[in-house]
Amino acid sequence: MLVRFWGTRGSLPVAAKAGAIRAKIARALVAANGHSIANLEQAGAFIDQQLDFATGGTYGGSTACVEIESGDSFFICDMGSGLREFGLNALKRCADGHVRIYNFFQSHLHWDHIMGFPFFAPAFDPGAKIRIHSAHPDAEDALRRQQEEISFPVPFDWLRASIEFVAMTPGEPIAVDGLTVVAEKQQHSHDSYGYRFTDPTGRNVVFSTDSEHKADNMKDEAAFIDFFRDADLVICDTMYSLADSVSMKEDWGHSSNVVAIDLCHEAGARRLALFHHEPTYADEDIQRMHEESIRYEELTRDGNALEVLCAYDGLEVRV
Amino acid sequence: MDFSCRSADGILVAAVHGRVDESTWEAFADRMTSAIDQATAEKLSEVMLDLTDLDYMSSRGLRVLTVAKRQAEAANLSITLAAPNDVMREILAISRYDKLFHISDSVDTGR
Repeated sequence: MLVRFWGTRGSLPVAAKAGAIRAKIARALVAANGHSIANLEQAGAFIDQQLDFATGGTYGGSTACVEIESGDSFFICDMGSGLREFGLNALKRCADGHVRIYNFFQSHLHWDHIMGFPFFAPAFDPGAKIRIHSAHPDAEDALRRQQEEISFPVPFDWLRASIEFVAMTPGEPIAVDGLTVVAEKQQHSHDSYGYRFTDPTGRNVVFSTDSEHKADNMKDEAAFIDFFRDADLVICDTMYSLADSVSMKEDWGHSSNVVAIDLCHEAGARRLALFHHEPTYADEDIQRMHEESIRYEELTRDGNALEVLCAYDGLEVRV
Repeated sequence: MDFSCRSADGILVAAVHGRVDESTWEAFADRMTSAIDQATAEKLSEVMLDLTDLDYMSSRGLRVLTVAKRQAEAANLSITLAAPNDVMREILAISRYDKLFHISDSVDTGR
């Protein structure tokens, strides 16, 4: 499996302003002082080897959309604003012969997780087949409603692809084009669902976003430890600090980096991707959160190491 | 995980030893509740959690502290974390719990 992150931001799309880019360039120029950089290849090597990610790159600002490449059809978790770019990329792959079947798995139906669908170009392809898997009975209502005239000029019924809604029941695995997928109910406003994907070789990926793990309900986390058990990659909501998640932002439906690491440790997961980044965070803030997460994993490790990745728009992870 | 309590200068000093993680957090939660009950019964004003001999505490233990803080506030008690080791100081900083709790460098009841 290849996991490709098209959108990693939480709640609202964001974009770096000119001042942020200028600050990155300034830091890079200072770091380059004394180095000889004669061409773009050398510049690229300097960026990779000498600059931190917040200076040489960006975590991006599209909301949740993650592709799991496995088998012949497309698998996509959530329809955040990152879906627009995925759709354009998928059209190119289809032009090269890729099967035009899109299997979506929806964590939930909040705006930041469906806002990309009206801009999903393959929905206008009459040869495309779109299956939207969800444990929410009102998934179709949510997608139709956001394309009603008061919100959007193109009604849902104008879409030309074959669109099917597939109801899932938490805890009951289904087989979809070579993958086995099971849903797990999570704590979030109007509920959310995590998904665990297992390929025929036994490799597996867990997508668990918009999931709160409350201080006064820790016994319920046994279900998540089972859900994450021995996972090759867990993509986890780490939007807030633990302190924020138990105080000012309690009941906002999100988790923290340290709880995600503890759950992965207890489950024996191999890799964790920090995900659903706080929209008010600059790249430097997300990078700091990543560094602190790696350190926390080291401090609390009591078994095999957990690799802590920080998801960014464009990241690819081979599982 | 071991836990012991003593009263000193109007403060209940509760010492936690070892580590608080997925295997010990429930016992730690029970002990913290008992400590708050004891402090309330003895009409004390504060519970000082002595972390001198605590190896580390995962988010399980930190979240027990949050629940304990709520219990304490309902009983008009304050909770102070005292003498964390370097590892625990890092964990308190990473989790931002150093913004939620008063942290004392030493177990000094100050009276």
